[in-house]
Amino acid sequence: MSLLSVSNLHASVVTDEGPQPILKGLTLQVNPGEVHAIMGPNGSGKSTLANVLSGRPGYTVDGGTAVLGNDPLLELEPFERAQLGLFLAFQYPVEIPGVSNMEFLKASMDSLARARGEEQPNTATFMKRVRELASSLDLDPAFLKRGVNEGFSGGEKKRNEIMQLLLLDPKLAVLDETDSGLDIDALQTVAEGVNRYRSSDNGVILITHYQRLLDYIVPDFVHVLSNGSIVQSGDKSLALELEAKGYAWLT
Amino acid sequence: MADLSLPKTIDAPIWLEGETADQISDRLHQALNSSAHRERWKYTKADGILANVAAPSIAPFLDSTEQAGLEITLGQLDHALPGIDFQQGPEASARLCYADQAVIIDVTQHAPEPLRIHHRDSTLPVIIRLAANSSLTMLEIADSSDAMQQSIWIDLGENAQLHHSRNALDPCENHWQYLNVRLQQGANYRLNNHVAGSKLRRQDIHLILDGQGSEATLVSAGRVRRKDALDQQVTVEHRQPRGSSKQTVHNIVADGGKCTFNGRIHIHEGASGTDAQLSNKNLGMGDHATINTKPELEIYTDDVSCSHGATVGTISQEALFYLMSRGVSPDTAEALLSQGFLRQCIDGPLAEEALQSLIGKAVAS
Ligand SMILES: Nc1ncnc2c1ncn2[C@@H]1O[C@H](COP(=O)(O)OP(=O)(O)OP(=O)(O)O)[C@@H](O)[C@H]1O
Ligand SMILES: [Mg+2]
Repeated sequence: MSLLSVSNLHASVVTDEGPQPILKGLTLQVNPGEVHAIMGPNGSGKSTLANVLSGRPGYTVDGGTAVLGNDPLLELEPFERAQLGLFLAFQYPVEIPGVSNMEFLKASMDSLARARGEEQPNTATFMKRVRELASSLDLDPAFLKRGVNEGFSGGEKKRNEIMQLLLLDPKLAVLDETDSGLDIDALQTVAEGVNRYRSSDNGVILITHYQRLLDYIVPDFVHVLSNGSIVQSGDKSLALELEAKGYAWLT
Repeated sequence: MADLSLPKTIDAPIWLEGETADQISDRLHQALNSSAHRERWKYTKADGILANVAAPSIAPFLDSTEQAGLEITLGQLDHALPGIDFQQGPEASARLCYADQAVIIDVTQHAPEPLRIHHRDSTLPVIIRLAANSSLTMLEIADSSDAMQQSIWIDLGENAQLHHSRNALDPCENHWQYLNVRLQQGANYRLNNHVAGSKLRRQDIHLILDGQGSEATLVSAGRVRRKDALDQQVTVEHRQPRGSSKQTVHNIVADGGKCTFNGRIHIHEGASGTDAQLSNKNLGMGDHATINTKPELEIYTDDVSCSHGATVGTISQEALFYLMSRGVSPDTAEALLSQGFLRQCIDGPLAEEALQSLIGKAVAS
């Protein structure tokens, strides 16, 4: 059974001038254990795909389906999708002053545990685990007391997303340009985090502009998204080809 | 609208030499009914508060009074307070005229222990005088009561420091707190104010930067819900050069609550190099929240830096989505965000109680 099955997905973004179609019949299947890289020109709809899958307000689904395991996603509230095991690493993580990272992570863990009918983690064990994860991603544990992403640098925000990925351990992770804005060391740290997360049970959709990331996180498939649908799929060598030739030959 | 008037005739107090009782009454009557002052009572009924300014008062309960650096007496005021301003605070001035006694606290050096002031009722005016280079931490707590009033007059000498924390969290039918602070050269005053709305709760705060390079900070968190009300009137006067004042006031108003914030900054002629900042943020939740926020700026000097912002908003949809995308239900996410909004302004030695009362149990610490 596939982990995620998106078929013929059509979606629009709601703008002041009315709905504007962005995704125009997108089909994608992710099986357990697979990493799918999605590349494509600016504005082609990569973030839109991630947002529509996670249920961000401001988009309308005009047709098609998206199923996680056995569960159709598109009718569900964002928190229900997350509780089913979907995770989105944001291209632009949100700053929330006044809510500490620790408090935020605990609320999230508790909600997910409750939804899965598991026991909520004991606070001391939980805090220890979070601190360990933070330092494994070169995040100063002092960050945990600060407001969520508050005053974090771009790279720190991205590492925080990966820390959440490792903590929450979802079934499917959609990483939207988690590599952008990272220095070379941070890129390796983040890639190492994603590789640590990977297992034969879960899957990753990796949205990126840079072939370089794929040296560290080796994808099983590379897709090119252009003008709202996937126009080319291949293995890792496709990314090298894109690097050399750009997108023009495909569109 | 009928004239605002005092509840009974005034005797001329000794600290107001050279004026007859009639002259003082006339002056107060005129000040109470000036158009600028009527404006300060636009959203709250003045009658109930005015009716009580002459009501009997007791001394507040004080703790940690026996320590080096503190001298506390109960007595009559013998000369006018430097911060007194009939025009700006006629009710508080009248209250001082009616009071036959005041609690006078002299701070002569660094006081090592925090001084605790506990109001369980209307209390006598409290006058705090900090000598040059002295310092004090003061904790002020107001309990619940039917109707009560407190007024505090503070004078900070050169380079004196006062860290004042105040909790007014319990319900009260009619509660008025007046605070007047004058800062001399290089003095530093900080107020952490935590307040819950009540049937009627009004806080008047008048900060006067009356010496060069003095510094005043006001951080306030308020929560008003159900049919409760909160009215905060803050005036900051910069009278001398290079003073800095910073106010951060966050209020949550939910489900039928009514909240008024009036922040006035007055920079006098000659107060060059002043830095005055005020940020008032209001978060409306649920139905029928009423929020009135009014910034007022009067600047009579060039060469000042002044920022003054007031916002009224609802929970950020971006932040809500971020939390929900991590599996947090909308209710919990809203609670976290509103708590976070208030927590930014809860600080200092009384923070723990304020967090409990205004926020309740945190999801995690
Ligand atoms: N809220 C919005 N209002 C208007 N247009 C939008 C909105 N969100 C997305 N769009 C438009 O939808 C198109 C697709 O945007 P999307 O963010 O999905 O692109 P992307 O492939 O992620 O691009 P990038 O590589 O720059 O991140 C763009 O033309 C964008 O301008
Ligand atoms: Mg994008």
